[in-house]
Amino acid sequence: MSHLLHMAQPAFVPPSSADFFFNPAFGSSFLATKPVLLVMFSVIVIVAFFTISARKAAVVPSRLQFAGEMVYGFVRNSIGKDVIGEEYQRFVPFLFAIFTFVLTNNLFGVVPFMQFPTMSHIGFPVSITIFVYLVYHYVAIKKKGLGPYLKEMCFMPGVPKAVYVILAPVEFLTYFAVRPLTLAMRLFGNMFAGHLLLLLFTLGGEYMLKSALFVKFFAILSFGMAIGLSFFEMGIQALQAYIFTLLAALYIAGALADEH
Amino acid sequence: MATTDDGAFWTIIAYLISGLGFWGGMGYLADRFLKTNFLTIVGMGLGMVTGLYLIWIKFIKETPPTK
Repeated sequence: MSHLLHMAQPAFVPPSSADFFFNPAFGSSFLATKPVLLVMFSVIVIVAFFTISARKAAVVPSRLQFAGEMVYGFVRNSIGKDVIGEEYQRFVPFLFAIFTFVLTNNLFGVVPFMQFPTMSHIGFPVSITIFVYLVYHYVAIKKKGLGPYLKEMCFMPGVPKAVYVILAPVEFLTYFAVRPLTLAMRLFGNMFAGHLLLLLFTLGGEYMLKSALFVKFFAILSFGMAIGLSFFEMGIQALQAYIFTLLAALYIAGALADEH
Repeated sequence: MATTDDGAFWTIIAYLISGLGFWGGMGYLADRFLKTNFLTIVGMGLGMVTGLYLIWIKFIKETPPTK
């Protein structure tokens, strides 16, 4: 059976990280590659959607207005109000921008003809994370002062003094290195793996379609998996956008909290 | 509530990683300088205990009983 497969065509080349790099659409600048163009497009889409949905704001909302308000209300109430508490209002624009931006760029992964989640390039999650990082440290330092902030962070009350030698560096590392690292890596990893999975089933199906007749049958299964997984991916993409925003809100809430 | 559960999950992961990373790294460096070979493991063990201890403080000790 296997010799039949090998006779017909060259061996199957599985998708790899090389599939995530594109040549510039025009010119030679990296600014003209697909991910960058998608990011720019996402900004246009978001601005257009919310401008149009809010333009004819009415007491009895149109469907579009309702959709826009639903997204805003979700970020404002479920993420902002529930997590940050009293002072949530001034962080809502920030959280809302993160959520819509990440969500739109993630969903590009399953939109036909785009089919590339921008966040599967590590640079994009990292740059959003840098914003979150700066904001939550800035908020904490402004509210508590640098000294008390570090003291509260590294020396939690109710622990024998000698143990601080062991605990303090770990706490410090958690706040300054591991939190931003996990924030960026999780989003990147999920989008990267998801896209790779879809590529595998699509390319595999295509390969089998070109093979011997009885193998063609399995191509249907492979394409079916690709379609099924696309819907699954949509769930993951929305969930990751939510978790990213939620954790940003949690870090800000932690920065604002008076004591643990 | 689901929101705080998600947050707790990632806080726990972060503590485990940084505990393991910091003290494991310290053990590794100590091994390098002292030309020994057991301190990395000792450090990783210490780091894990530290991570779990911090989680215990954050989530069990400081949480008032619900009833």
